[in-house]
Amino acid sequence: MIIPDLHTMMPIIITGLGALVVLLCGPLLLSGTTTSIAVVTAAAAGLWAVFTAPSAAPAVAGLTFTPLAQFLIPLFCAAALLTLLLSHGYNENRAIKGEEYPATVLFALFALCVLPCASNLLILFLAIESVSFAFYILVTMDLQRAESGEAGLKYLLMGAVAAAFTAFGFALIFAGSGTLALSGAVAHAGNRAIVAAGWGVVIMGMAFKLSLVPAHLWTPDVYQGAPAPVAAFLSTSSKVAAASLLLMLLAFSPPMPELRIPLVLLSLLSMVVGNLAALRQQNIKRMLAYSSVAHMGYLTLALLTGTRDGYAALLLYGTIYTAMNLAAFGAIASLSLEQERDQITDYAGLGFSAPLRGGVLALAMLALAGLPPTGGFIGKFFIFYSAIRGGETALAIIGILSAAVSSFFYLKVVAQLYMHRSSDPAPRAASAADAAALCCAAAFILVLGVFPAPLIQLVDAALQ
Amino acid sequence: MTPDFPILSVLIFLPLAASLLLVALRPSQALARGFALAAALAELVLAALPFFSSRLPAAYPGAPAGFFLFEDLPWIERFGIRYTLGMDGISQIMVLLTSFITVVAVLISWRQIKERTPLYYALLLALECTIQGVFLSLDLFLFYLFFEAMLIPIVFLSGIWGNGRPVYSAIKFFLYTFVGSLLMLVSIVTLYLMHGTQTGSYTFALPALVQTSVPYGLALWLFAGFLVAFAVKIPLFPLHSWQPDAYADAPIAGTLLLASLLSKTGAYGLIRFAFPLFPEAARAFTPVLYLAAVFVISFGAWIAFAQKDMKRLVAYSSLSHMGFIALGIAAWSPLALSGALLQMVNHAVTTGALFVVVGMLDERSDNRELAAYGGIWGKVPALSFFFLFFCMASAGLPGLNNFVGEFLVLVGAFKVAPVAALGAFLGIVLTLVYTVRLVQEVLFVKEQKPLELKDLTMREAGVLAVLALVAVYLGVHPTPVLDLFKAPIALLVSR
Repeated sequence: MIIPDLHTMMPIIITGLGALVVLLCGPLLLSGTTTSIAVVTAAAAGLWAVFTAPSAAPAVAGLTFTPLAQFLIPLFCAAALLTLLLSHGYNENRAIKGEEYPATVLFALFALCVLPCASNLLILFLAIESVSFAFYILVTMDLQRAESGEAGLKYLLMGAVAAAFTAFGFALIFAGSGTLALSGAVAHAGNRAIVAAGWGVVIMGMAFKLSLVPAHLWTPDVYQGAPAPVAAFLSTSSKVAAASLLLMLLAFSPPMPELRIPLVLLSLLSMVVGNLAALRQQNIKRMLAYSSVAHMGYLTLALLTGTRDGYAALLLYGTIYTAMNLAAFGAIASLSLEQERDQITDYAGLGFSAPLRGGVLALAMLALAGLPPTGGFIGKFFIFYSAIRGGETALAIIGILSAAVSSFFYLKVVAQLYMHRSSDPAPRAASAADAAALCCAAAFILVLGVFPAPLIQLVDAALQ
Repeated sequence: MTPDFPILSVLIFLPLAASLLLVALRPSQALARGFALAAALAELVLAALPFFSSRLPAAYPGAPAGFFLFEDLPWIERFGIRYTLGMDGISQIMVLLTSFITVVAVLISWRQIKERTPLYYALLLALECTIQGVFLSLDLFLFYLFFEAMLIPIVFLSGIWGNGRPVYSAIKFFLYTFVGSLLMLVSIVTLYLMHGTQTGSYTFALPALVQTSVPYGLALWLFAGFLVAFAVKIPLFPLHSWQPDAYADAPIAGTLLLASLLSKTGAYGLIRFAFPLFPEAARAFTPVLYLAAVFVISFGAWIAFAQKDMKRLVAYSSLSHMGFIALGIAAWSPLALSGALLQMVNHAVTTGALFVVVGMLDERSDNRELAAYGGIWGKVPALSFFFLFFCMASAGLPGLNNFVGEFLVLVGAFKVAPVAALGAFLGIVLTLVYTVRLVQEVLFVKEQKPLELKDLTMREAGVLAVLALVAVYLGVHPTPVLDLFKAPIALLVSR
């Protein structure tokens, strides 16, 4: 490794070092300071990645700072940064103290930064599992609530199964192709069956991580049990990471027609079951969990087209989805400071008594429903556009209809916020950190809805 | 006016800017409505400007035929999506109508809206922005964006300030229109891709997409997607069932905007987009449209007769009147089409005014039951006069505007589809029946319980007088408006 290589790998190094510093020096510092260090670390890593030129040559064995990495690392850093801002007040209120929390978020970010750089199956596996490992801890972070521990246990057990699937799949691909290098994981004529089987098992593993139906059952329980800011981070970054893992595998290998049927089924079931199940939910976190199942179905739809358009739509939607879900869970976290607001009816009248957070939550709901002029509309448009263009018209129409169904439950939240009254006293004012994070996410949603062209350019550059 | 002045963009974004200011500053009630009125009036003046400017199409290079104002900027270049606006005679009238009705909407909300006033007017102005966008867009993506975005302000307006079951009605309306529009989106994308593969240029521009050759079988499906989206908004049978609920439960200005403007976006969409894009498929669907139109005319009138609630009665009568517009569009001849377009303006004025009058009665006595009224003719002469006037206008009294519009539609339709025209004519008879009943029960029969009513204030009388003057003017001298339609209609029909 030489100095320029070190330079390109700096985002990974920054996050790794930051996590260690927070963890080791934490006991000596005030809790606010650890969060600040973590925020600065995430911002620094993200900015470094933005201003570093990507290269095709590996910097270290198995790690390359690709254009895709240059796109995804700032995205993950931004998500981590907003999560840290949102969780500060939330955690203090729930006596989630100490340096473990910011350190674990940074560890997750570290693994997230490694993932898009991986050019080798082993590193890819280690990265995605380190992400999950950090999330097992984050989900159980709220020691006061039994639900939190239960959620963590469920997530851990399911995650372990998924990890086993993924590892087995990678092993099969290795056996079939004879190399761990991502670019070499190509089926030879004689071993096609083995590689295809490997792919199938990997997709099963990723279906767990992406909570695609039928591997979605852990999702509502985990989202409900996890602290709201963690759910925000989990529902965005870990999903985008898993989706980009599939994207990297697919983009590097020649088309695999065998994969179409399983992906079609996963996408179809996720869109339909996710949206239908979300219709019945009274608990807002469970509702968002099922909605996230459906949204992952849309992502899979873009993925299975196997075209540049589809991959671009996936990255675009992943980015917009990150902003939307951070806004939604962030508003929930910030509104739940003095009392848990789990039921959708707990949000009655909050659009007026807490205008900023109520407004952001309503905006996130309208965006998730896919209404213009929000980014959600642009994202959905490009997903379905790429699907129709890729020849998946029937699936796209089913997806569009299921998205139409979904508008009902998103609108239910908006109706509670603005069209119902509540006699409860107004919630406490939002902290500056919360307000800043929510404004960032909301601005992102709106700006992307009106000026998506710059992001589309970035996405195109990432897929070079 | 120089071609450099982006008057179309200003028409769209002036109300939005005013709306954002209202949300950001949250002024007091009096200040908010004053500001909203000023913004709405400024928009009205701006919308009237093109009438006084010279029309030199040559000043706008690249403008499609018939469009005398044009703006075109790249927007999302990778997908050939452009920010293209254009104004011809049809959009000109629609834009003027929108700004006029918005001023009326602001004025009639003056006393009725007492809470969250800034937000209320902000939503009203945001809605105006999206409606103007619908009438001015020439890029299908942009059009779709405005068409969908209309839903957000109107759902909030009806849900927050409505009465009865506002949330139920607002969500029902939202779901109907949202699902309808999504089907149109599939059609738009498919058409876009077909055009791209045929010509190599991927674009959402209407003048380019009109040239696409679509196989007949597919065109039927694509047209159906557009038709569903627009039929929900108009609304046409069988996609109308959201309408009476939404009209009855929205606040009075919301009902006015739904009936006078939002229903017109559907009719406008059929004329501007659906028919020109798929002329053959449209011809194939014409019998369905005739059937739906005639059915809606008679069925709306029939159900209106059975209503006990005044606002619901007017809602069904509005449904019935929209049938004439659908009939005129379906006939697609210059005469019928100009009748339909004129009727779009007439319907907005007279049905809108009827809703306003009913709203004023409701505001005074907090009661919309027909049975609660009676004998108000002697008590509140000015209000009763306008009530009678707009009932007569709505019933199609000669000399008033609806007569001209319906007459043109019927004559135009009679030439191409005599049976449908005859059916529509029978519908008019039913219209007379419920109108007479409405007039009689509210104005003349002996009242059961004495109601304390106050007559019109200056503001209310002014609003109604202006609406009445427009109705008379269009009834006796519709030529200037019809002249505006001539050139665009000739272009539309010649395709």
